[in-house]
Amino acid sequence: MNKEFNLTIKDYESGFFPTWCPGCGNFSQWRAIRQALVELEIPKEEVVLVSGIGCSSHMPNFLDVYGLQTVHGRGIPVATGIRLANPELTVLVYAGDGDIYGIGGNHFLHSCRRNVDIITIVSNNFVYGLTTGQASATTPVGTFTRTTPRGSIENPLNPSTIAISAGATFVARAFSGDLKHLAYVLKEAIDHRGFAYVDVFSPCITFNKNQTFDYFRERVYKLEETEHDKEDYFAALDLSNQRFVKDKLPTGIFYQIEHKTTYEERDFSLNQGIIPAHAPLDLTEEQIETITEEFY
Amino acid sequence: MKKDVIIRFVGSAGDGLVSIGILFSKILKKHNFNILGFRSYQSVIRGGYNTYQIRACNSKVLSVGEEADIIFLLNKNVAKLHKPTEGSKAMVIYDDDSFDLEDLDYPEDIKKLPIPLASITKEISKLRILKNIVGFGAISQILGLDETLIKEVIFEQFGSKGEEVIFTNNEALEKGIKYAEDNNWPELWEKHKYEKAQQMLISGNEALALGMLSAGLKFYSGYPMTPATSIVHYLTKHLPKLGIIVKQTEDEIAAIGMAVGASYCGARAATGTSGGGFSLMTEIIGMAGIEEIPLVVISSQRAGPSTGMATKTEQADLFQAYGASQGEFPKVIIAPYDVEDAFNVGIEALEIAEKYQVVVIVLMDLYLSESNSTVRKLDLRRKNKRFEILDNPPEDFRRYQFSENGISPRTIPGTKNGMFFTGSSERNEAGTSLASTLAGLPDTLPIRVKMVEKRMKKLDTLVKELENPQLEGTENAEITIVSWGSTINIVREAVLHLKEEGITANHLHLKYLNPFHEEVVTKILQKAKTTLCVEQNYTGQLRDYIRMKTGVNIEHKLLRWDGEPIVTSQIVAKVKEVVKNE
Repeated sequence: MNKEFNLTIKDYESGFFPTWCPGCGNFSQWRAIRQALVELEIPKEEVVLVSGIGCSSHMPNFLDVYGLQTVHGRGIPVATGIRLANPELTVLVYAGDGDIYGIGGNHFLHSCRRNVDIITIVSNNFVYGLTTGQASATTPVGTFTRTTPRGSIENPLNPSTIAISAGATFVARAFSGDLKHLAYVLKEAIDHRGFAYVDVFSPCITFNKNQTFDYFRERVYKLEETEHDKEDYFAALDLSNQRFVKDKLPTGIFYQIEHKTTYEERDFSLNQGIIPAHAPLDLTEEQIETITEEFY
Repeated sequence: MKKDVIIRFVGSAGDGLVSIGILFSKILKKHNFNILGFRSYQSVIRGGYNTYQIRACNSKVLSVGEEADIIFLLNKNVAKLHKPTEGSKAMVIYDDDSFDLEDLDYPEDIKKLPIPLASITKEISKLRILKNIVGFGAISQILGLDETLIKEVIFEQFGSKGEEVIFTNNEALEKGIKYAEDNNWPELWEKHKYEKAQQMLISGNEALALGMLSAGLKFYSGYPMTPATSIVHYLTKHLPKLGIIVKQTEDEIAAIGMAVGASYCGARAATGTSGGGFSLMTEIIGMAGIEEIPLVVISSQRAGPSTGMATKTEQADLFQAYGASQGEFPKVIIAPYDVEDAFNVGIEALEIAEKYQVVVIVLMDLYLSESNSTVRKLDLRRKNKRFEILDNPPEDFRRYQFSENGISPRTIPGTKNGMFFTGSSERNEAGTSLASTLAGLPDTLPIRVKMVEKRMKKLDTLVKELENPQLEGTENAEITIVSWGSTINIVREAVLHLKEEGITANHLHLKYLNPFHEEVVTKILQKAKTTLCVEQNYTGQLRDYIRMKTGVNIEHKLLRWDGEPIVTSQIVAKVKEVVKNE
């Protein structure tokens, strides 16, 4: 316990009250992120919260940390650049299912295999909210939305399974309706060494009448209350697929391994302890000689 | 005595043309020649008809030239494909152990110089590359080069591979020289002592990379795309020693995204691509623009549209750069004009980006990116300083504070009391989003107006800092030639040729395309007797751009879009035609 650290959850508020619909699932995440940061005693100036576009991506407006909202789907690459430029920072990506699984899907895949030590939290409401209710990559087949008035005819993807198979070293799921468990999962994710990914079931009370708070309450259970071994890769894959099999929705940490080296540990500059953001700008005589030798 | 020779190596992909070209350039450089080398190739890994042309002069080399004096055919297939121009007096060297030129329809004046490379090398070793060294020996005899100096280059090049390699290479060289001597090959120049060379031999992309490194580049990201990829290749070579991050990404969107992230964090950052990748980057260019995050984006133009001709040069992306991303925001466009200038632009681009918190687009083109040129020793020692970064922000710190020159000092993550929010939406001075957090509040409209003005003002400040375009040559010339990018020295060479023929031409070359020196350019063009715009595209983009910015109509245009660099004789011919009709 750091004696000098005396910040409270309130201290991490920006002073602007969120503009989400009253009752939105994002509120508990607003609280849980701050709670996790306080419990881990991470000073505000060392946190960068990066988002994309969508209702949930307004999040950085409401926290007193370094906040950067990118264009749609691009939070992950921007966060990766931040972290590689300064590995002393805690870098979080916070965005929605449309953002991370849809338009930003490619970055999501590659961040899983790359294992840069950032945290990606997806507020998954199974719908596009800010554009007033269209189908997303996680919308179940048959769902009626404004772009699928006859019911969605596409299969949804299962992001947690994808994350595990793509090589993520921390894959978890949480539910907005359970603040205590959500805060616990986020804290573990932030504390994890390597790429951490959390899918949060976060009901959209305006545009999604299917995946509601009640819907989840009836189905979720906590892996922490089972015998699940989070280092068991195949068990993790199996559990992450249960949504489609048993209509049971496990939450908690599916998979976590710490023995895999991170990108930062493998990088030939960062593993020397260099912080690119603060490294001296001028080349040394020795460097100049090395990099120009081939031109003579 | 003026020395000026053009040597063309002709082979297929897989023959190692670039290595051959660079190695022979190094030999010539050792003899204190100025050199320009350029590879013409196709998008294949094996086969095809490729050339590496070197022009060596004892004065400045302005173009790779047109007709070769010495041609070295590396295999039978290219011998069939190679068609020397009518009237060419080139010496054609080829391996008569592998093929002969008898049944090929070559012009009469061509001097065929067969040399049994296979038999000669067989006496030394099985290594195929030795054939090239034997050839080098024979060519060096024609040029009267110094055997000791060539052996120095061989030592520098192969020294790390052990004594035997050096020995066999030297032997191959000697045999080549002897063969040319014994068979009375023509001698272009007499042998003499050469002064010690101090120059560098470097490509446009490498010079640009060196410039950026010298200015403190800390982060570079990219996705492979010709002709920008060689920047990544070069930067990664010395990675651990430089302590910088070089990142190959999943696509160009990630490449620019990461560079923006790193730059936001305080690392000087750049990304590079060609037109296709640049298309993918444009959305984030706008984001960096509104968030006022410094960023250098290199786009090396190649023949388009779409995949176009991936290995051919063009200058057709000016409007793509100018129009990149929706809305209006300050965007700097600089087009380096030669290899040494690419080095300077590397430095300048990073500094402008940081100082003005803007996106700087460096518009290269394939001809410049891939030209290998001798340049004076580039000075990489610099005393760099940081611009507009606050270590101790004041209590009332506002990230986007309105200011006289449009620049607002920033903090970087990790700085105490410097936290701020930034987003791709419009904002107030503190950074708070007008679109969401402050949505609909009545005082947001005037803030929006002032915020756009603040950003755009940066260009007005910057344009005063940039060097004015200069008119090169006599004021009262018969014609003013206008150009941009890599054609500068070709135009200069044409101006010299025209002078010899009694025609006076002057030359306006534009390097800073945005912000644009409207008044200076207008004045220069209005004084001209007649004007000609020389460009590597179909529509005359610079010509249209100048008319848009100044209202001045450049009367004539010389355009080339077949993918090969414009040549001096084309410009000379066009100018003569224009002047005659005036």
